[in-house]
Amino acid sequence: MKQLTNKNSIGWLFVLISVVAITLFYFYPMFDALLLSFQSGMGANLEYVGFDNWSRLLNDPTLKQALINTMTYLMIQVPLMIVLALFFSVILNDPNLKFRGFFRTAIFLPAVTSLVAYSVIFKYMFSVDGIVNQLLINLNLISEPIAFISDPVWAKVVIILAITWRWTGYNMIFYLSALQNIDRSIYEAARIDGANSFQQFIQITIPMLKPIILFTTITSTIGTLQLFDEVVNITSGGPGIQTISISQYIYDLSFKYTPNFGYAATVSYVIVILVVILSIIQFKVAGEKE
Amino acid sequence: MKKFLALLLILMLGVLAACGGDDTSSDDTGDTESDSGETSDGVQSVTAWAWDPNFNIRALELANQAYDGDSEMYVEIIENAQDDIIQRLNTGLSSGTTQGMPNIVLIEDYRAQSFLQSYPDAFYPITDYINSDDFVQYKIEATSFDGDIYGLPFDTGVSGLYVRTDYLEEAGYTLEDVTNITWKEYIEIGKAVKEATGKDMITLDPNDFGLGRMMLQSAGEWYFEEDGNTPDLADNPALEETFVLYKEMMDADIVKLNSDWSQFVSAFNSGDVATVPTGNWITPSVKAEASQSGNWAVAPLPRLEIEGATNTSNLGGSSWYVLNQDGKELAAEFLANTFGSNEQFYTDLVTEIGALGTYIPGTKGEAFEQEDPFFGGQAIIQDFATWSEQIPPVNYGMHTYAVDDILIVEMQNYLNGSDVNDALNNAQSQAETQLR
Repeated sequence: MKQLTNKNSIGWLFVLISVVAITLFYFYPMFDALLLSFQSGMGANLEYVGFDNWSRLLNDPTLKQALINTMTYLMIQVPLMIVLALFFSVILNDPNLKFRGFFRTAIFLPAVTSLVAYSVIFKYMFSVDGIVNQLLINLNLISEPIAFISDPVWAKVVIILAITWRWTGYNMIFYLSALQNIDRSIYEAARIDGANSFQQFIQITIPMLKPIILFTTITSTIGTLQLFDEVVNITSGGPGIQTISISQYIYDLSFKYTPNFGYAATVSYVIVILVVILSIIQFKVAGEKE
Repeated sequence: MKKFLALLLILMLGVLAACGGDDTSSDDTGDTESDSGETSDGVQSVTAWAWDPNFNIRALELANQAYDGDSEMYVEIIENAQDDIIQRLNTGLSSGTTQGMPNIVLIEDYRAQSFLQSYPDAFYPITDYINSDDFVQYKIEATSFDGDIYGLPFDTGVSGLYVRTDYLEEAGYTLEDVTNITWKEYIEIGKAVKEATGKDMITLDPNDFGLGRMMLQSAGEWYFEEDGNTPDLADNPALEETFVLYKEMMDADIVKLNSDWSQFVSAFNSGDVATVPTGNWITPSVKAEASQSGNWAVAPLPRLEIEGATNTSNLGGSSWYVLNQDGKELAAEFLANTFGSNEQFYTDLVTEIGALGTYIPGTKGEAFEQEDPFFGGQAIIQDFATWSEQIPPVNYGMHTYAVDDILIVEMQNYLNGSDVNDALNNAQSQAETQLR
């Protein structure tokens, strides 16, 4: 018996380092940020204001617009990207496809580019004298260049296109690896039973990939909620605040305007709450039993 | 096993000690840590943060050469992007440590009050080091807080109307016709220029309200009342006229839109716009397109049609601030000896980097009377220096950029058809709830 407790305590010692480190570098800042969210004031002149920040949240038009924008990105971009990634991964998993390695690399490549670098390139591609406008004009699809970046709707489209380009390949890799773990004999049996490719995809591939789809959906959702680099570099939130993201608003509150770290912390907690709610919904919808 | 445990414990102790170390120094705003150093040969140094290698950094380098004070010292210049400086200052000052902070830092005038009031005691007043009458008045207003001067005024953002005289000529106008005009007249000329040349009159970024800020200051107005804190948007005739003029320009179809700095610069470098109303710091960018030499001139900024309106204004500009920590006297002395009193130094600034300061005794002399062939032989530096002294002083207040963002949104609403008074009332109520 004594032997056992001794073993246990050594086990705890091993865990202790990471526990202390996580407490120190994750939980302590989180708790401190929670305290901060009940304070307000300029720069270093913070004082406790109770729930003032939280009630200010409710009447903040910029935050409202940031939430609408983020939800728009989320509703359109995440499903679009997941479907595209699934589509690419199934095609690339086909053993009869030639140059598979090349295509895989090509589609994954955007995921290793720097966020700022690709955002700047997108910005220039979609500028008034940019390559996209020139192409559209040369193809006679439009007669006047479109001001993509200064138009509230087009600016969102550009952002969505950019994020999709950047992250589709990343998600595809998860699907590819999961696909390779599906037993070929299942497909063979399905073929013998007379199932066509589409039926195989719906009845076998999708159910087998479900945990991975759930995983990528959650990570993409969190990623979208934390969206910052693309928006700042492509549109800097504009025109007006038509493309601003929550993270950018937090940055503005802390560094662009006269700093109010208290209110910025409150807005950060909005993201935390949203991530928790959305993740719960996704788990429920995906119906994970365990 | 014992050895292993001991090792673990030592590790743990190390971690704990590291955390403990942080706490002891965190509450010290003052004197424990500093960046001023002394090398073995007795030459002291202070550090300075600034942005823009071709302008502010070069100015500091020239100051290093020009310094002839009593102490053996030099400034170690560290270049950072402006956004990074703001971020580092904010995080450093709000955590209450001066560790890693510079002795001298460049801060944009629009942000100065925000820093001075957000971090009381973090900056060192230099009132006793300079003679405030030596500087143009609006800069002193921007750098003062609570009766003390905290910033040593540096460059002026005095604005002017850069015009393409060849385009004007094509439309039947001369430089005289755009000198000391109102914005209304400016728009009329713009329409004529567009008709004659097909070129837009102006390039604007819908996400940047710089033009509005210039218009406001030209009439001695700002976003706030005198106290610099109470939003003054709803019943501000200057702001209302600014909105109306902005929309008239858009409706007259004389605006080429841009969405960032490089597109802004390329709009006039490529010859797509006939005029550029902006700060004098744009001169190097205008002159970068050598093929347009002789086709440019600078007129005073158009004015609003309200009481107190002038043809002079300012856009941007920054000043040097000293942080309240070890080395502050040395840093202040350095600034006073160079930027604060050295006339020859200001002549060098103009001739070597084209930087126009706000030190009045330093804005006279041959260097300023030089005629610039790029601008058709106009002595533009002299003109800017004269206008600079007439800029109406305003209190930039605490929240210029926050209000900027509110106004940019309301401007879009107004352009899309809402009433100007509704737009400004909206802006007012938003500003009142947000700025506390």
